[in-house]
Amino acid sequence: MRAAIAAAMARSKREIPHYYLGCDALVEPSLGALEAFNAGRPLAERVLFAALALRAIALALREAPELNGRFVDGRFEPSANVHLGVVTALRGGGLLVPTVHDADRLALPELMAALRDALARARSGQLRSSDLADSTATVTNLGELGTDMVYGVIYPPQVALIGLGRVAARPVVRDGQVVAARTVHLSLAADHRASDGLIGARFLAAVPQRLARAALP
Amino acid sequence: MTDDPLAPIRQAVADALLAIAPEADLGAVDAGRSLREQLDLDSFDFLNLLIALQQRLGVAVPEADYGRVDALDALVAYLASHGARA
Repeated sequence: MRAAIAAAMARSKREIPHYYLGCDALVEPSLGALEAFNAGRPLAERVLFAALALRAIALALREAPELNGRFVDGRFEPSANVHLGVVTALRGGGLLVPTVHDADRLALPELMAALRDALARARSGQLRSSDLADSTATVTNLGELGTDMVYGVIYPPQVALIGLGRVAARPVVRDGQVVAARTVHLSLAADHRASDGLIGARFLAAVPQRLARAALP
Repeated sequence: MTDDPLAPIRQAVADALLAIAPEADLGAVDAGRSLREQLDLDSFDFLNLLIALQQRLGVAVPEADYGRVDALDALVAYLASHGARA
């Protein structure tokens, strides 16, 4: 498995001209909405921040076609669907990237269920071929390991890798005062053959806009 | 064999943990320190743990109490004081 990952990553860095953008997103308002949502719900129906972030990312990708698709035979082919690969570490070592299909079309509870299901299958070695093959962009979430920012390597033939860091209370400025609020660092690694900084920046601005609302995306 | 009234709850917790982290050495876990850190449990693992414990013991831990149950001893005590049926 390590050899396969190594080959893909080496190829990616050889062939894909990466550019990188990052921003700090205020997530306190949407986390507050999430906590209210979960308070009334049984355990099996609770939604985690990862699902919230994934939905905001999927919706923003739908509006950024140059970041969602495949670069094959010298050409970029945008995809009409948003199938998000989610990087997950295996307990014994190694990585798998199961897919959450139609992440932009699932309501938040359904997205959470699909994500839980995909991660459970990946971790128990029960992935199906449709789980791995057809994602249109990938998200890597290293926040739970304490990493504040991640700038990753795009998985060819995709053209974008979105990184999520650690959600934590940090100093922010509100009405001219420094207050504590939860933020997360969001990053984009993108293929400069398919998009440029302006497109990447618009995408990267759209995600925090959704997360800064006191409502679920 | 000691008469530990919490033994059935401890066993239920151990079973649920091993289902999520089969390689874990529970004997080496510090019962007073973060369970999530020591066993590398992410938010999905932790949620799955709580779901398994609810199924087994009938206690649902609200999100607001997550901070009170991230150590083995604290988790067992919380389950016991919230009517765990073991």
